[in-house]
Amino acid sequence: MTGFDAVVIGAGVLGAATALDLAESGLSVLVLERGAPNREGSGTTAGNLHIQAVHTRRPGQAVPLDSQALLPAQKASGQLWAEAEERLDADLEVRRNGGFMVAETPGQCAELRTKHLWEEQSGLRTEVLDGDAAREALPLLGPTVEAATWCSDDGYANPLKVAPAYLAAARRNAAQVRAFTPVTGLQRRGARWRVETPAGHYDTPVVINVAGPWIGDVCAMAGLRLRMSPVAIQMHATVRERPLLHHLVQHIGEGMSVKQVTSGNLLIGGGWPARRMEQEGRSHASSRSLTGNVAQAARILPVLSGLRLLRMWAGPLAATPDEMPLIGAVPGAPGFYVAGGTYAFTFAPLWGETLGRLIREEQPRVDVSPFSPDRLTETGRASLTPTRKGVTPC
Amino acid sequence: MTQPTTIRTADAAVVGAGPAGLAAALELGLAGLRVLLLDEQSAPGGQYYRSPGPEAVREVGDHRPAGARLIARVRACGVRVLSGHTVWGVEDDRRGLLAAGPDGDPVIVRADRIVVATGAYERSVPFPGWQLPGVVTPGLAQHMCAEGVRLGRSAVVAGSGPFLLPVACALLERGVRVLAVAEAGRPYTPRPAALGALRFPARLVELASYTARLARHGVRLHQDTVVAEASGRERVREVTLVRRSDPRRVVGRHGADVLCVGYGFRPQSDLAQLLGCDMGRDPATGDPVPLLGAAGRSSVPWVHVVGEAAGVAGAPTALLRGRAAAFDILAARGRTVGRRSRRAVTARLASLARFNGLTSRLYPDPARLTAELAAGLPGDTLVCRCEGVTADTLRSAACLPGGSDVPALKGSTRAGMGPCQSRECGPALDALRGRGTGAGAVPARVPLRPVPLSTVLHLRAFGEET
Repeated sequence: MTGFDAVVIGAGVLGAATALDLAESGLSVLVLERGAPNREGSGTTAGNLHIQAVHTRRPGQAVPLDSQALLPAQKASGQLWAEAEERLDADLEVRRNGGFMVAETPGQCAELRTKHLWEEQSGLRTEVLDGDAAREALPLLGPTVEAATWCSDDGYANPLKVAPAYLAAARRNAAQVRAFTPVTGLQRRGARWRVETPAGHYDTPVVINVAGPWIGDVCAMAGLRLRMSPVAIQMHATVRERPLLHHLVQHIGEGMSVKQVTSGNLLIGGGWPARRMEQEGRSHASSRSLTGNVAQAARILPVLSGLRLLRMWAGPLAATPDEMPLIGAVPGAPGFYVAGGTYAFTFAPLWGETLGRLIREEQPRVDVSPFSPDRLTETGRASLTPTRKGVTPC
Repeated sequence: MTQPTTIRTADAAVVGAGPAGLAAALELGLAGLRVLLLDEQSAPGGQYYRSPGPEAVREVGDHRPAGARLIARVRACGVRVLSGHTVWGVEDDRRGLLAAGPDGDPVIVRADRIVVATGAYERSVPFPGWQLPGVVTPGLAQHMCAEGVRLGRSAVVAGSGPFLLPVACALLERGVRVLAVAEAGRPYTPRPAALGALRFPARLVELASYTARLARHGVRLHQDTVVAEASGRERVREVTLVRRSDPRRVVGRHGADVLCVGYGFRPQSDLAQLLGCDMGRDPATGDPVPLLGAAGRSSVPWVHVVGEAAGVAGAPTALLRGRAAAFDILAARGRTVGRRSRRAVTARLASLARFNGLTSRLYPDPARLTAELAAGLPGDTLVCRCEGVTADTLRSAACLPGGSDVPALKGSTRAGMGPCQSRECGPALDALRGRGTGAGAVPARVPLRPVPLSTVLHLRAFGEET
């Protein structure tokens, strides 16, 4: 069979969630993956479920993101994550024990209060605590914490389980998944796209480009220019510990997230940059980012300084120049959809459903027009003029 | 509480104070270079020249006095020996070494040249009961014997490789009854490939002395024999040996409280990999090894790799590789090194390489043996002891679409993700996929060993640099 109703490029968490949505609605779906499924950003992410408003600037990030604009999607994602394990009939290690977002300076405290107002307006329940109240709620917090917001919906899921569970569910709905099958060409042929791979070509009216750091390259194959700025970020894990920390802890002013996962390891992250982004093969974590990330995390949670670092690793983040999510149809290219950008793990259940609805021309659960790819094309309309193959337009 | 970061600079940093590292440090030190010799053990010597404690020396003597003499010469020539220093990472420029001192105090070492002499890991293959107390590796057994420790009342020695015989003899010397020695291959059966051994009379005499000692104690040496199972409640009580070529045939059941089992060694090349050295595969074993030019030169201009880390070849080769690398570094600095001593080292290395070639023909190929043994493991065998993952779990995960490579297998089962970071079970994980190649089985990542976060926290000078 060489024809499909939809071809999904990338078997990360977005590809897997989209494939399930489309397959459940009865479409014939093919998922193509250049390497192993869930190997890149989706499998290397921290796995945080960010429901309260996020901090606006990852270390090394040029432009702050618009945190307020993400709230409707975060609220909807919070609901979808609550149903995910039942829907997928799988243990995803979803833990929703709530999370703190801490502040250390007067400026950061003011940011917390502003953020809390936005959250109230969006119907998200959060609570602002002063430093002492925060330490009473979480005695592990260090003396520099001046305030914190608490959101009972924050949590995490195991990224090693989520995309595989979506893929397995998609397969049960007759989706086909081809690992180690890179897309080598994309051509418009009449009303359809021809997707070329070393294993043969597939014709489809709908292409979904969820290729993470290769989104730009895949667009380029189709002659589309989309400005992406993929980066590699890193994570750190301690050796297993007795249960110490039941909540997600983040920082409003700096990239920092700390939590203890089901297996007992504590994960320290926050989007610190890896040594460099490797498009081929695994990026290497940076020792400099390690020291920076650990220093701030141990300031907020002094208990960390008594633990041992077990491993660290780097993975790609399909970032956009404005650090916002990316989802929707690419203008000027009928049937060509794209999704990626920041917080894709939290948004995966929602983005999967949203792409399905956009493709079926149904109303999405939340308005995603602010995240449309229009803003990343040259003129708001992608031109179908060919660009050189394999060149990332940035 | 840890101290602030110490930054040490040197002309050359040698990592690992085994035979190769000591030999390299000695030549560099004698030539007047400022040399730092880092080693994670509490005293230099590595596994081969590990110095027994003073009490053991009084009681049982030093089994390798040449080591103590070499260490004394290294100290005398001005090499700064930093024992108890674990190198756990590298700086982002891949020049500086990040280490933790004896109390976890952070140390950064910056040197013009790095000599990686990190040695080898013992090669283990899982089997039912390998997690029981009383199961030890030959290296550990030999070390305990040298310390004068009697590991138990009676032992079975099993696995493969020339190392098993001296270890069995060491156990006998400490008063442990050796019930059987089981070798997976047939190296001691005369055949044409073994004729080459006649060119190495000293090695034959050594072999004869081991077999004679074993015979004197009535120790049976079984060939084509492997461990099927070790059983017991709190520790090993019984060991079952079977024919390797016909695992249904039981060779013997021995009531032993010590089972010493190992399949030789594999290069500990992860630091070389972290430093950015191009890696290849050892043609004889399939293990990842750095691609090296003459005298241990790696693809990174400031890194030499010597000793077992460059490919397992034994202590005599390690000593020579260490010297050769030192001569190469000195020559690059414009020092004249006697042509005769350089030529002698090269010739001796070539002769040893012929002997090693013979050994690898006589003993089974470790990658194939690992694959074969892993394929025969009962389903409930613990393969990853850190995370408690069984052979059955791994086999079914390997059948999942896209689950067939080692990283995917680790991701879906957590095997190899515990404290040992797959150093123990990595080759077996790879073999259980059914088409083991060793690729990606044991990734090199910072930290090379779990490191206290307090050590990381105090890397201030490093972290604050711009």
